[in-house]
Amino acid sequence: MTPMRATLKIVAVLGSSVLTLMFVGSETQARQKDVKAAAAGSTGMTLRVSAAASRVEALLDPLAGGWAKMPAQRVALNRTPRLYDTEAPSEPEIPFVDIRLARAEGKLLVNMTWHDPTRDAAEIAKLPSAPTEGRPHKELTEATDRFSDSAAVMHPTHAPVNGQWPSLQMGDPGNPVSIYFWNASRGAARMQAEGRGTTRRTGETFPAQAAYRDQAWHVTLELQDVSAGIPLAFAVWNGSQQDRDGRKYFTTWLKLE
Amino acid sequence: MSLHQYAMVMDLNKCLGCQTCTIACKKLWTDRDGTQHMYWNNVETRPGIGYPRQWDQIGGGWKDGHLQPSRQPTLDDYGAPWEFDYDQRLYEGKGKPVMASPDPVSGPNWDEDVGALNGDENFYFYLPRICNHCTNPACLAACPRQAIYKRNEDGIVVLDQERCEGYRYCIAACPYKKIYFNEITGKSEKCIFCYPRLEKGEVNACAAQCPGRLRFVGLLDDPASAVHKLVRVYKAALPLFPEKGTGPNVFYVPPFNPPKRTNYGKSILEDPRLPLDFLVYLFGSEVKGIIVRIEAELVRAQNGGSSELLQLLIGRDAETRYQIKPQFVQIQARIG
Repeated sequence: MTPMRATLKIVAVLGSSVLTLMFVGSETQARQKDVKAAAAGSTGMTLRVSAAASRVEALLDPLAGGWAKMPAQRVALNRTPRLYDTEAPSEPEIPFVDIRLARAEGKLLVNMTWHDPTRDAAEIAKLPSAPTEGRPHKELTEATDRFSDSAAVMHPTHAPVNGQWPSLQMGDPGNPVSIYFWNASRGAARMQAEGRGTTRRTGETFPAQAAYRDQAWHVTLELQDVSAGIPLAFAVWNGSQQDRDGRKYFTTWLKLE
Repeated sequence: MSLHQYAMVMDLNKCLGCQTCTIACKKLWTDRDGTQHMYWNNVETRPGIGYPRQWDQIGGGWKDGHLQPSRQPTLDDYGAPWEFDYDQRLYEGKGKPVMASPDPVSGPNWDEDVGALNGDENFYFYLPRICNHCTNPACLAACPRQAIYKRNEDGIVVLDQERCEGYRYCIAACPYKKIYFNEITGKSEKCIFCYPRLEKGEVNACAAQCPGRLRFVGLLDDPASAVHKLVRVYKAALPLFPEKGTGPNVFYVPPFNPPKRTNYGKSILEDPRLPLDFLVYLFGSEVKGIIVRIEAELVRAQNGGSSELLQLLIGRDAETRYQIKPQFVQIQARIG
């Protein structure tokens, strides 16, 4: 396990500098700055936040009119390298995610839109509260080889430790990250992590709404407020590519304006 | 390696294919939401397609220290259960015969008793399967979340439902395809070797319910156990597909079919009803030596001699077949 982890870390360090170059719409000078910032463990491109006039409730709908008025920031998605040699390699299919951010009522609302021609989600029945033994009818597993489309937003849990933000790879020991995870089959869940393989659910959920329209996912996640200057990172999982775990699309850290 | 290792030996000569073990397990462990396709214990006809379909061809296991790739079995590979439309046909006057819905395409015992031909004679036998609780489990190694662990006190391999995120790397890695995905819980599940029963001194449900008395359960490292004697002393039982490299702790006494119709009195190796190649495919080349040993014991018993091995394999009572030692393994684990 350890040698593989070490290799991945190198890939990630190299990757973060190279990948910063891939931001769509950045200027050359800004790019060079980004590279330096990324190398220093910081971040480049900043994320604009709109001060929304609407209430949180109105913005939770990802297709609400309030979002359409805000300009989207298009962020390049990177695909993780192949993690396990038992897994089939897969080519990048989702090049970018459009991000819109709004502050309202002390919350940070994140609107993510990305093109995905296949909607991968199970219709999980809302289970009756009666114990399973007491019911003659049991809910059925419909597919055993299906993986669900998902998305997540991650931010450092604390202020920088020794001037360093946590690693993009699920944080570092002693420098944790907080994650807002949404899954097309199973809804929203909050998670924490202090490095690869340490991700755990906190048991809390959070408000999130999703719509699949015109071959694209539109998802709104309601985060506890995140202060200006804190970096966010985004991730998208494509179920039809058997994405789960670290097999996914990701952005680098992007600082909140 | 665990401090101790529970093991099971199944004598394939005694399996009736009655599926009582399957139902015992199903009623006890997988009668829940999302588990309809799961049979932690199943009995399949060999030669045959197996459950899930073609599991022995899909992949997984170890080769040269590396996990091997595998696809994920589909629901059809396990067999989606179907219902019969009795109401419409019998009470509502629809003319046609009772039909199954959805249209069955496979099932956990799809090709029962079909077998194959050896020359002009048909042959088959039943292969009961549970998780092998391997010494070097590929599933455990494949899980990036350390959700699977091997109990130090007794070697039982369990899957922590709190840690599991349903990634299914374990399902791909297991060469026996004995881990199952529950889409309702979003987590994977597997045979737990009935550890809650063992901890109370009771044998596994599949073994307890077996009318053929073909299962032996105990600690492999307990010299007094039947499993120790059958595997280590008499060397009469082998694991399935040893070349997959996981070190299974479920062992099989190979099927010792009667001679072919026209060959009474001949050795099984001279003109076997079961092609030896097929047994070698399942159990490796050591299977020949076992057949020779069991045949010699049979000849001795038929000539009025005694055979401890055959007496043990008859397994007349539970005390002969099961040596469950909950206090022993727990104390050992505590003093470490």
